[in-house]
Amino acid sequence: MISTASNVVVVSANRVTLRKTLVSCAVLAVVLLFAIVVMSLIGSERLPARASLCAIASLGTSACGLSRDQFDILFQIRLPRILLAAAVGGSLATAGAGYQALLRNPLAEPYLLGISNGAAVGTMIALIFFGANEWMRPLVAFSGALIATLAVYRLARGRAGATPERLILAGVIVTTFLSSVIVFVTTLMDATRIRSFTFWLLGDLSGTSRALLPVAITVAVAGALVLTLHARSLNLLMLGERDAFDLGVEVGRVRVVVFLVASLLVGSSVAASGSVGYVGLVVPHLARLSLGSDNRISIPAAALGGALFVIVADTIARTIIAPRELPVGAITALIGAPLFIYLLKRA
Amino acid sequence: MQRLALVASLILLCACNTPHTTATQNSREITDDAGRRVALPQRVDRVISLAPNLTEVVFAVGAGDRLVGRTSYCDYPPEAKAVPEVGDTLHPSLERIISLKPQLVLISTASQLEVFTQQLQNQNIAVFVTDPHDLEGVFRSIEQIGQILGHDEQARLLVQKLRERTNAVEEAVKQKQPVRIFYQLSAEPLYTAGHDAFVTDLMRRAGAISVTADVPGAWPKYSNESALAAKPEAIILPTGGSMGTGNSTVAEALRQSPAVREGRVYKINDDHLVRPGPRAVDGLEEMARALHPDAFKQ
Amino acid sequence: MLEARKITVSYDHRVAVAAVSVTLKNGEATAIIGPNGAGKSTLLRALNGQIRPSSGTIVLDGEPLERLNRRSISRRIAVVAQEAELRFPVTVLEFILGGRFAWATNAGWGWETDRDLQVAHAVLKETELTELSGRLMNELSGGERQRALMARALATEAPILLLDEPTANLDLSHQATLLSLVRNRCDQQRASALVITHDINLAAQFADNILLMQHGKTIHSGTPAEVLKPHILQEVFDVRVLVDAHPVTGGPRVTPVHETHRQEKGIL
Repeated sequence: MISTASNVVVVSANRVTLRKTLVSCAVLAVVLLFAIVVMSLIGSERLPARASLCAIASLGTSACGLSRDQFDILFQIRLPRILLAAAVGGSLATAGAGYQALLRNPLAEPYLLGISNGAAVGTMIALIFFGANEWMRPLVAFSGALIATLAVYRLARGRAGATPERLILAGVIVTTFLSSVIVFVTTLMDATRIRSFTFWLLGDLSGTSRALLPVAITVAVAGALVLTLHARSLNLLMLGERDAFDLGVEVGRVRVVVFLVASLLVGSSVAASGSVGYVGLVVPHLARLSLGSDNRISIPAAALGGALFVIVADTIARTIIAPRELPVGAITALIGAPLFIYLLKRA
Repeated sequence: MQRLALVASLILLCACNTPHTTATQNSREITDDAGRRVALPQRVDRVISLAPNLTEVVFAVGAGDRLVGRTSYCDYPPEAKAVPEVGDTLHPSLERIISLKPQLVLISTASQLEVFTQQLQNQNIAVFVTDPHDLEGVFRSIEQIGQILGHDEQARLLVQKLRERTNAVEEAVKQKQPVRIFYQLSAEPLYTAGHDAFVTDLMRRAGAISVTADVPGAWPKYSNESALAAKPEAIILPTGGSMGTGNSTVAEALRQSPAVREGRVYKINDDHLVRPGPRAVDGLEEMARALHPDAFKQ
Repeated sequence: MLEARKITVSYDHRVAVAAVSVTLKNGEATAIIGPNGAGKSTLLRALNGQIRPSSGTIVLDGEPLERLNRRSISRRIAVVAQEAELRFPVTVLEFILGGRFAWATNAGWGWETDRDLQVAHAVLKETELTELSGRLMNELSGGERQRALMARALATEAPILLLDEPTANLDLSHQATLLSLVRNRCDQQRASALVITHDINLAAQFADNILLMQHGKTIHSGTPAEVLKPHILQEVFDVRVLVDAHPVTGGPRVTPVHETHRQEKGIL
């Protein structure tokens, strides 16, 4: 009897439990909050640290001795930008985790699969045809992302199912095709717009749209929530569509949900800030490595981790050559690519 | 033995074919802005310009009839539009250029067209680089092009007039307090003029201090925070020329600046500010008049 | 009870299964044998609802299969596939707990209950995988993985088990264990099982019924003694067979007679 009891203990030891999940997420959330506060003290203009912390703690109701301009810099420029970075990072990491579970491939990533490009083409179309209307951008970007996702999915499905090789190939085809479309559209623009577009395409969080920030945050939170609520189904889906079906997962329905949600997440991020690459690849991978492949913990962890990652990358992008700026996508690639190579070697 | 000598001399001849056009039918040499010694025929009847500012200069010195090719961006003076196009500034068509049989091609940055210049030289077409970074450079460029096209006198007169106008402006604003200004190339993302931009020189002469004059590079992407903190007294919005209606609103980060509060936001034709050609002096005058209106009351 | 009446499955003008009927009664184990391409796997997939037959009906406990939702089918029918796609690292325990999904009250973000863990523990013991419960699935050998697949199916507590060549990678000892597990389930818990296998003698020993298929059609079905007759087997497998009584069980024992060079040497 005693041996039976100890067997049960051994058996349950490395499972993911509700408690483990809540604890990990709480820790990550605290670190994220800390990062938001700390990064808001860093920027191309120096702000007095104590006064800034006081102002933040008062949630903007008190200036705590900051000058009018310093207050504006902190609350009109820096904090909104950091929050946008968090929303974009969280969205892209969640989308990445979703695609990886759905396509059963740890290398599935919105940027590498060309889905970000699809969203970028959508955004460009919205800018050209619906210029003034800001709301059209995430909407058309979402459609672009969805179409690109479908294209990759169809291309990757062979007789033998979506093998990693087919998936990478499908991603390369879609990415390069859409890149050419982007280049084509850019040549139709005048020379002066080209420079700013090229920067945006590489990831630019300096946009100051008042309306789109709440949209980006809402989409990021809602998307992460919806995918987490399908986590148990995704756990089974990740190990084979047929097996998942046998075990009771409504594969068709879950697939549609993940497609729609992931495309929405990518669309809203790209519409707000261009293509920020590698987040959807590196962050979910790190989450799974440290917390296990169970999506119930790795999806929320990826969302929080992604937010953190992009906040830090953006802080580097906007301070390293201050007062000039680098595109944040360049920083995420510079950190992400070697990090990913290292992770691949360890696995 | 004879055959060997022939082959050897052929090889030597080819080896000696340095990246300059052979001087047999050409009889003068001029050094261009890239430091290259360019051999030119005495009379140049057919010239192609690959930059809008250079097209303007060619017409300004009175040699517009010699222009046989231009880029799609070369839109001034209006007569230029009648000249055949050879493509845009970044990727002009080599075939089209060669088929127009020019003797000389004027380009504005050697780096952009590096590969390209080699092929033109193989066709015995001279390539001249002129890349002015400031107003003095523009004057020198006008004189050089005038010299090349045999319109020395016109070029000299033009430069004289432009210098007079420039000096007049600088005199007028000498006594005035320089205005701190921000040059907004685009609002989102926020781009401005850095240390190496042509317009930075113009702003200085117009009695202004560009708040981004020390930022390295020509057209840096600028931080919103720093723009806000800079609190410029005036903002220049280049618009209306090649930019069309774009860039006609001030960036969000600058909406609370003294410039906006006091209504000192000036829209100036962008072609007058970024093209290093004769119209740059127009741009100089427009900026100076906008920034120091009382210095120009006559 | 699962009943398939005259089902036909066709893909792109090719008929994979032609008017096959099979009934899985409680407490009975049925084996499906036949050459490759006979339509055995397709039949199995139709039985669990994955493939829609173009004609015929499948009835599960009195209700037509199409009318039932996915989870309720999975609670009553479990499939043991040939192999698992293991592109992500997952422990044996996590893998087996996947079998409890159909019973989750909250399929979205639900967490395993104590009962789930109890069942998992019991099933690990049955399949002798307890020591390996913490290991990653792709660290296991082929045979161990197959047992894990079996364990997952058993964890669903479904009374109907569909197995597609479950003993393919197992050594003799584990083959025996696995099939006796299936047999026990049938005998003691009134489960029913359908096993696709290439091992005719294994089928003869543990199955109550055998269904012999070829080219999508039922060639013969009935008890092992009825189906495993030399002329029938020869016709289907194009090989001479000898069928005698197994010295221990008394059931039919099939021995193929291969034409080899030994014949020429006069040994046979």
